[in-house]
Amino acid sequence: MSGQPTATATATAAVTGVGILTPLGDNLALVAEALAAGRSAVAPLATPVPCAAARFADFDATRYANVRGMRIYNRTTRLGICATRLALADAGLIDAGLPPEQLGVVMAGSFGHLDTLIEYDRSLVTNGPSRTNPALMPLAIPSAPGAVIALSFSAKACSITLAEGGASSLDGLGLGARLVRDGRAAAVVVVAAFGLFDELVLSLSRQGQLAPADGFRIFDERSQGMALGEAAVAFVLESPAHATARGRQPLAFVAGQASTFAAGTDGMETSLARACRQALAQAATEPADLGLVASGANGLPSTDGAEARALLAVLGAAAQKPAITAVKSALGETIDASGLLAAACALATMGGSPAPPIAGLERPALPGLRYLTRPEPVGGGPALVTATSQTGACSALVLARNAHAS
Amino acid sequence: MKRRVVVTGCGALTAAGNTLDGLWQALLSGRTLVGKVTNFACPELDSLSGAELVVPESYDLPASINGDAFRARCCHIALAAARQALVHANLPVQPEGGWGEGAGLVLGTTMGEERQVGDLSERWTKQGADSVDGGFLGRADNHKLAAGIAAALGLGGPVWLNATACSSGNTALAWAFDFVADGTADLMLAGGADTFTRALFCGFARMSALSKSVCKPFDKNRDGVSFGEGAGILVLEELAHARRRGARILAEVVGYGLSNDAYHVTAPEPNGAGFVRAIEQALATTGASPDTIGYVCAHGTGTQYNDQGEVRALKTVFGERAITIPTSSIKSAIGHTNGAAAAIGAIACVLALLHQTVPPTANLAEPDPEFGMDFVMNAGRPVELSACLNMSAGFGGANACLLLARAP
Repeated sequence: MSGQPTATATATAAVTGVGILTPLGDNLALVAEALAAGRSAVAPLATPVPCAAARFADFDATRYANVRGMRIYNRTTRLGICATRLALADAGLIDAGLPPEQLGVVMAGSFGHLDTLIEYDRSLVTNGPSRTNPALMPLAIPSAPGAVIALSFSAKACSITLAEGGASSLDGLGLGARLVRDGRAAAVVVVAAFGLFDELVLSLSRQGQLAPADGFRIFDERSQGMALGEAAVAFVLESPAHATARGRQPLAFVAGQASTFAAGTDGMETSLARACRQALAQAATEPADLGLVASGANGLPSTDGAEARALLAVLGAAAQKPAITAVKSALGETIDASGLLAAACALATMGGSPAPPIAGLERPALPGLRYLTRPEPVGGGPALVTATSQTGACSALVLARNAHAS
Repeated sequence: MKRRVVVTGCGALTAAGNTLDGLWQALLSGRTLVGKVTNFACPELDSLSGAELVVPESYDLPASINGDAFRARCCHIALAAARQALVHANLPVQPEGGWGEGAGLVLGTTMGEERQVGDLSERWTKQGADSVDGGFLGRADNHKLAAGIAAALGLGGPVWLNATACSSGNTALAWAFDFVADGTADLMLAGGADTFTRALFCGFARMSALSKSVCKPFDKNRDGVSFGEGAGILVLEELAHARRRGARILAEVVGYGLSNDAYHVTAPEPNGAGFVRAIEQALATTGASPDTIGYVCAHGTGTQYNDQGEVRALKTVFGERAITIPTSSIKSAIGHTNGAAAAIGAIACVLALLHQTVPPTANLAEPDPEFGMDFVMNAGRPVELSACLNMSAGFGGANACLLLARAP
């Protein structure tokens, strides 16, 4: 089977707006500045188990969006609504006259419904259906957070939810780019959000995946697990022609995106490398052209190792050229939101912010790559963003300042 | 230049049986498979009615899969349907070295492995936070549905899990269509799977949206939904790839249309405007003439809102011709299988194109006189058919329509 991507597999889509909410700030400039300054939001968390995590201290959705029903939505949905509102505002699409039929939403949401489903189902068991809040059920299905976001902003072109764990949001960018390329929407908001809840933290802790409160490192020979984080990010995608027609200067372009699968961590390195090569081919970009790689490494030795080996294989002779960063070192593993968060960081560096260092990295487990240990301007070259899920999904994205990356 | 995409295999596990022929004969017979549910229970709901899937022992599945206590039922029936689809396509289920990067999967679901959460809830009442084990998150991760199939078959291309509620089957087919059409993959498996879940039964009962007997789409006495269980998977292949290997081409996927109501969390837009946009987009993006559509496999859930909106949409798009297009819903035969429903609907369209016969709507005795449509009733009807429209809508307002045509 050939399976070789054609050059047009993912046509260029323009990024015209970004909304971002992290414990380090609520706009891209602030977050980029904090990351470049080496600040980390990862801190000890006492409950439900002692671990390290990057949590919002005082997230208040009403500061960002006034949406009917916000009170009953879960944390992930509220975060997603707020990031979407910020992205649409950044793109100049609030009250801008875009017909609702031309606005779509693609949500990266593997776990966004899960705490509501747990609450609803537990109530069915303990109270019985007749004493359970009936408003919870529609919010307990996996598509609910995305559907609520689309409803909140009258997005009538489409409402799609993808659930590939950590690969979801880069896959979502690829899908969003297709939708605008094919004219199915004039603008698509690709949104991802991740809020923590006890069952999630407990399960990952008991699986031995979380680093101790003082032992979180990425790509380091002492890495021993991940730190969870909370965040929401939204990108507005448009066709370049649509952006130009309304006088918007694109922030960047989705020049390539590819998804692959590996059965188990053994094959992850090969599979991720394939995704990277396919995305670079779509973007007509050579590894030596890259200014930055925003890696999805998260502190789990198996994931970090697969990421590093895949990048070494893809970059080849250019392995020392692009700077390698990993924003999870400062913002934690935000699973569904992680790909968009890394993409936002890449976008900021292409806009002139220094690329952020990998917080805590002192002794790389796998040398050969140009891991950033201090902030560094990397210029406006294209950026490669990588993401994987624990189930085997791999996704790679090439962001570029120009419509044609090279 | 987009490549042409054809269907070369189908696999379905439903209450109508576990073979394609079983499904087709059951659909043509006009009988319903909705009955008393015996292997699944919900608190306070004494007698559940639905179209229950009983997986035969001959399948290579765990012996306990039919029991209420089996938690990974969705994953297993989806894998069984995928294997069945590959066999139907005359393809190896597990080729030496796996399928590799040229083959992938997009699976749709409404609720996924919801029973894993149910299991946790029951343990929580006794053990509290201690009930959360290390494997819980992995078991409740819906991508595991797709990943489980991909790992078993050795797929190396895109493996996506698509959740657009009850339009998931069609949107999964849409993304798979795109992957094949643009050259990302030569072969994609796509479809959907869902099983009975406590959340949906109890939630729909609270909303008085469950039929008190058996759902009767488009009937003047319709009174709600009857759930079903099922998995439906189709093999989509690039036309030249299929021809090169001498595959039997069953139908062509022409394209799709999407929309979102953005109207209400649970209720569809009453005037069917969302459906209209989805159908019009499907026609416009493919260049297909509305006149070619000879059968509509309706979403047809048997609720007042759905039936009215859907019929209004068909009349808006097709004008006077709408009342002459044979239209039916298979949900009164095999229940509303949620995330699998549109995929099984697509299989019904493929079979209709192959056999030049359209299936009836079971239980439709007195069509709502307000509609005045050509609903297929009682038994299958022979027709001359070149293209079908497969409709779907999901909770939250996501609509997706798929256009299928006779094999080229």
